Parts: sequence; structure tokens; C-alpha cells
Amino acid sequence: MNKNKVFMIGWEYPPHNSGGLGVACQGLTTSLAELSDHIYFSLPYKFSGSIKHMTLLDCSHPDWCTKGFSNISPPFFAYDHSIQIPAVRRLDPANLNVRQLSSLAQSDLERQVNQYQDQVIKNSQKKDFGVIHAHDWMSFPAGMSVKQKTGKPLITHVHSTEFDRSPVGGSAYIMNSEFEGMQFADRVIAVSAYTKKILIDKYKIDEKKIDVVHNGIDPISDADPGKHHFAKSRPMVVFMGRLTGQKGPEYFIQLANSVLKKIPEAIFVVAGNGDLYHELLFTTANKGLSSKMLFSGFVRGDQKSKLLDRADVFVMPSISEPFGLVAVEAAQRSTPVIISKTSGVAEVLPSSIQVDFWDIDLMTNKIVELLNDQNLSEDVISGQHNELKNVTWKSAAQKVMDVYKNVTS
Amino acid sequence: MPQICFYFQLHQPYRLGNFNVFDLENDTDYFSGDNEEIFKKVSRKSYRPMLTLLLDLIKRHPEFKFALSCSGVFIEQSLEFEPHIIELIQKLVKTGRVEILAETYYHSLASLYSEKEFELQVKQHGAVVKELFDYEPTVFRNTELIYSNYVAYQVEKLGYKGILTEAVDRYLHGRDRTKSYLSNTDKPLPLMLKHAPLSDDIAFRFSDKNWPEHPLTVDKYIKWVEIYPEDHSVNLFMDFETFGEHQWEDTGIFLFFEKFIEEFSKKSYNKFVTPGEEVSKLDLTYLDKYDVPDPISWADVDRDLTAWVDNDLQQDCINKIYELEPLVLKINNKELTDQWRRLQTSDNFYYMCTKWSNDGDVHSYFSPFDSPLEAYRRYSIVLADLVIKIDKENQPQQKVDN
Repeated sequence: MNKNKVFMIGWEYPPHNSGGLGVACQGLTTSLAELSDHIYFSLPYKFSGSIKHMTLLDCSHPDWCTKGFSNISPPFFAYDHSIQIPAVRRLDPANLNVRQLSSLAQSDLERQVNQYQDQVIKNSQKKDFGVIHAHDWMSFPAGMSVKQKTGKPLITHVHSTEFDRSPVGGSAYIMNSEFEGMQFADRVIAVSAYTKKILIDKYKIDEKKIDVVHNGIDPISDADPGKHHFAKSRPMVVFMGRLTGQKGPEYFIQLANSVLKKIPEAIFVVAGNGDLYHELLFTTANKGLSSKMLFSGFVRGDQKSKLLDRADVFVMPSISEPFGLVAVEAAQRSTPVIISKTSGVAEVLPSSIQVDFWDIDLMTNKIVELLNDQNLSEDVISGQHNELKNVTWKSAAQKVMDVYKNVTS
Repeated sequence: MPQICFYFQLHQPYRLGNFNVFDLENDTDYFSGDNEEIFKKVSRKSYRPMLTLLLDLIKRHPEFKFALSCSGVFIEQSLEFEPHIIELIQKLVKTGRVEILAETYYHSLASLYSEKEFELQVKQHGAVVKELFDYEPTVFRNTELIYSNYVAYQVEKLGYKGILTEAVDRYLHGRDRTKSYLSNTDKPLPLMLKHAPLSDDIAFRFSDKNWPEHPLTVDKYIKWVEIYPEDHSVNLFMDFETFGEHQWEDTGIFLFFEKFIEEFSKKSYNKFVTPGEEVSKLDLTYLDKYDVPDPISWADVDRDLTAWVDNDLQQDCINKIYELEPLVLKINNKELTDQWRRLQTSDNFYYMCTKWSNDGDVHSYFSPFDSPLEAYRRYSIVLADLVIKIDKENQPQQKVDN
């Protein structure tokens, strides 16, 4: 047995990811591969690309395969309830962006998580590993079973909790899965001190059992900040994220309304999709902001980079954000960021401006200051750049290795 | 046996392209939708065959006459994409038996928002009609037959002799739609009202297999028309695209129309009339008043403005576009003014309609966008770009950094 061989249980992996989980798994495993001896990584579907740094295990259940379609993405996207994919009506790769909306019954969700668990157990047999590492609640039941079968230590890694996603009460089943997974685990990794506190306060997990490992980010070489891309003559404030209650897009509209009273020529851009989209458009029109508050739709690739490069201020008014990768991406592109205090990213970007998500007055003042005072804006940007030096996957992987050592020694 | 007054509407909007925030201040064309493709398709299916048939019927039946109204944006696109369509209309007008109606150049809702803008657009339309067809319209039809006492007041000031509109029973109170009426204005104008049931039998129900009267035969239709007495006028007002586009050729719509004109013309007492002819021979002293305090239209089941001005999306966009009027006119830049006016075209707001029921289906059939939300999303970004352009022109001294 090799202590430094890892059996990792995932759920999604880029490009078929709905949020930060897939991105984090990619960043973490890439750096971890250099420190550990081997990584097995299970997915509930057949990954169509090629991955060199670890062994991918296709743990999809035969039931999920409908005639003519192979599994090319998870049976449901755990983070975006608006893009759950029913097992019987799978999307083909060419149409993955179309995102046929359909809701998945709780029982289907449970069934699929259980089926994944069965497949993961099968795939774990005869594999040589010293530690089990499960990412988020969809993988926890599988992680627990593999631990029972093999007696190997289990680490549950919490990238986001049901409490973040539904602060007013989410799924009891999901919360229970999270709780049991963490209880049964030998160690728990939280993506931020903020998340650690939620695990202690809301899930009553023993404080001493939890390690904080902040996410990293891959450095970029193509940053091209400046106003030259588009809307050259206007101050621009950007929101980017899923349009769900958790991300606080409603506060962004309130904020726009308030800032525009002081800086009427400002333009506000909302980038993303989600279940609040419809409502947000109507609120925008109702407040008379139709030519000021603009919705770009979901952006990726070049457009995403361009928008973050162009932004004069980036705002992330999340009600509860375990980490908040997009704020780091904005900081990389030399954009001053305003983030809510209830976000993990605040811990790695102390130079950013931190506010309560509901404090429209303070956010308004901060935006007005940043837009009017070039020096202030540049101070924040350079502070953020300094802090970004420590936000690496290498450092995250080293901390994870320390956690492995802790449970295997 | 009554007389029949046919009026066909020709209109195509300039549809917005996929303009996104990345296009702001980058001189991207707003109207890069599938305008050429759609215009050519509708020309092939409807404009060309129907105009050719009408020309043929005019030659074959000396009694046959009718009215056309062509929005300015239709004329512009026709000149650009299918100039022979304009040539066909010119031929028709030359016969002296085709009347051209007045309307707003941009097929806009300006009559509801700005008297001055309304007047300018009607005059712009008049100028292009004069230039292309050597014709001076005497009767006015507003966008989507939108009408109210206030609209009549504006039209009267412009010197027109009559107006076409919809017969809406909440204002008609059971009176005949086949009679002409007077506007409730200081200087009353004669009004001719659309016969919605008989117009829509052709325009909407003709190919509907669930309609109990399907299939509609010429004999049956003539019987329905013949119910009315001699001094009445059955006013059949419809979209020109009814023929070949809304009702495809294989439904038999062209044959139906041709045969109807033939059969109707066979009886010597049957008459066709055009709006201008009709209003000029009316004795106004005998006409009843049609008092319409709140605007009506020919659209949807409600025959009101809710197809264009109902939800918050529509209202904010319309308010915003008309708020720009003084700023745009002050700049006096032809291209900018044209862009602003194209954004006034009623279709932009029609696409944003979120009403339920059958009307919603009709809206989505005509919309180039996936949803009303998408129509709004794009419009609002284009609006932002237009506002930026206008602000720049109005503050030419302001230095732009970076």
C-alpha cells in the first residue's frame, strides 16, 4: 500500500462543469499530481478528453445511458439547479449549451447519488491507494462506502454547502449527506475559514477536525486591462455569476440604481444565467434602468476575459460564498473588486474592498470612490496583485498533502 | 349587396442583430438581423406572386380596385433587397385603380408619444410615396390601425380626409361596422372600420382545420358578404403577407382570392371601392360618431395597445426611446436620427410581449427572437449604445480619456 496514492471521488470536471467544483478539482489535482504518487479520479460519466496527470474512472451507471447517447456529463449539475439534466433525456455534446431545463425530483437525485456510490465501490476494488478524498456531498456517500470497504482514511472536501446555496433552508437530504460525510470522515477540508465557520456553526462539526485549504488559481499571461475593448467612454461596473439568490444579483440592481444617481453615465453589466434572470430583467425595466443595466448572458472564454479586463469595478455581493473564484479572476485582470464579507475569497484578497452584501450605501460610496479616484483604484489593484502571488494551486496542493500525512501517519 | 373595400398592409421591420455589450461604442450595426433573408423569403412566397396576381386581376376585371399601405422601412428594404417589388407596386399604382394610404414612415407608435415626431414621420412617408409612386395619399392608416380621438385630431391637422381603424364594440356599442363613422374631434373626419370577422376568416382562419367552416369556399364567403345591404361597406383589411406567407400557397389562398374576385365581379351590382373614393362621396352630416377615448388597434383579442405597451420591459423601452427625442433632433445627424427612428418601429416592442394565450403564439410566430426576454435584452443594449452616441454628440468638447 502506498500512502501517497489517492483515490479521489469527483462529480464534474472541465469542460463539463457547472461551477467552481470542476475548476477546483482540475487545479488541485494538476498540482497534487506532482506531489503525490498517483491519483485515481472518479466521475459519474465518461470523460471525453484525455487527462495525463491522473487516472480517470468512469463510474456512470448503466441506467443513465439512454439509447444513442453516452454519458458525457454528470447526471445532474449539483451547483446549478436550473441546469439539472434528467437521466432519461440526456443532452448530446453538440447541444450542451442549449441547457434544456428540467427539474429533477428529490428521489431521482438520491437514486443517482446512490447509483454513483455503487459504481465507485466497484471501481475502487483492486486499486492501490492510501487515502480517499471526496469532493462535496454528491461524492460523500461513495467516499463513506469506500472507507467502509477498505478501511482507508476518508477526507471530505467541502467546496460549498447547502447552507450557502439556500440560506433560508435547502434540501434536508443534501444537508444530511453533507453532515454524515463530514462526521464519518477522518478530516474535513474547507475551502475557506468562512466555510469552516459554517461547518462548525451550522453542521456542528468538530472544529479540530477541519483544515482550511484555499483554492488557488492558474496564472494568466493574456491580461489586457483597459477601456479600449468596448464602451470606452463609460465607467463600467460588472457582476459575473449564476443568477441565483445566493449570488445576490438583486443587490447589484439596487446598487446600480443608487450609483447612477451619483454617476449617471455609468454602465452596469450582469454576466450569467440562472433562475432569477427573468425577474432581474423585469426589475431592471421597472426601475427604469433599461439602457444602464445590461445583461450580457452567460460568457466564457475570450468574452469572459474581455469583460473582466474591461470592468472598472467588479462586484460580488454574494449572500454566502464559500470561496468566489471569479473575484480572483477579476483581480488577476487588474480590476478592483468589491466582495461581500460573507465570502471565502475575502481571506486571500485582503486588499479588496469588503462590505456587507446588503450595505448598498457603503457599496455605492466605494464604487463612486473607485470610479472617481484613479489612485485609489490603482492602490487596490496593486494590493490585489501582491496577494495573488500566494493564491496558487501549488500551495493548496501542499496543504492537502499535509492533511494526507496527518491521516495516514 | 354591399361594396367591398380591400386594404393590404406591406411592412417589414429592421430586426436587431445579436448586439451585445462587447459591441458598445464599437460601431457595430444595430440592424444586422436576418432582414435580407426574411425579405427575400417573403418576396418569393408572398409579395411577388400576390402583386403579380393583383396586377393580373386589375387587367382582367375593370371593376376591381383596392388600397395598399407600405411602411417606409418596407420600401427601403425592398429597394435594397428586391427592387422589382417596388416596380410591381409602381405598375399597380399607374393603373389608377390602386390607392396608396398614408402612415408613419417607421411603422411607429409616435402618434401616442409625440405629435411632432408623428408629423415628421408621416411627412417623411408622404415624401417617399410621392417620389416613388407619384402619388399623394388622402386617407390615413396608423400603425396596426391604432386609433383614438387624439390620433384623429393629429391626422386631421395634417390634412388627411379619412382614417381606417378597427371596429371595437366597447366603443361601437352594437352599431354596424359596415357603416362609416365620424371621429369625435372638433373637425370630424370620416372613419372606415375593419370588418374583423370577415377579414380574419381569410387572414387567420383560412387554413385552420379546426375551424368549423374549414375549408372556406368562394361561394360560402360570397354569401357571408352578401348579407349586408347595398349602402354598407365590407372593409377587408389585412396584412399583405396573408397571401403566401401566413397562409401558404398550398392552402389554396391565391386561387381562393382569384376566384373570389372573379365571382364577385360577375354580378354587375357588386362594387369594389377604395378608401379615398369612399370618404370623398360620404355625406358627413348623416354619420354617427365613433368616440374612442383610449387607443384601440387591430391586434390580438383585446384590440388595444397591450401587444406593444403592456409589461415593464415594453414600457421602459418605449419611454426611453421617446425621452431621447429632443436630444436626437438637436444633433440633427441624419444617420443617428434614422437609427433612433428605426428603434421606434412597433415590432421591437411587439417582440417583448409576454401576454399568455393565443396571442402569445401569434407573437412568437412573428418574432425573430427566442423569447420576449431576449428581445428586451438586445434592445436595451442597443439603446445604451445609442444613448452613448447621443451624449457624445451633445458634449463634443468633453475629452475622453484612455
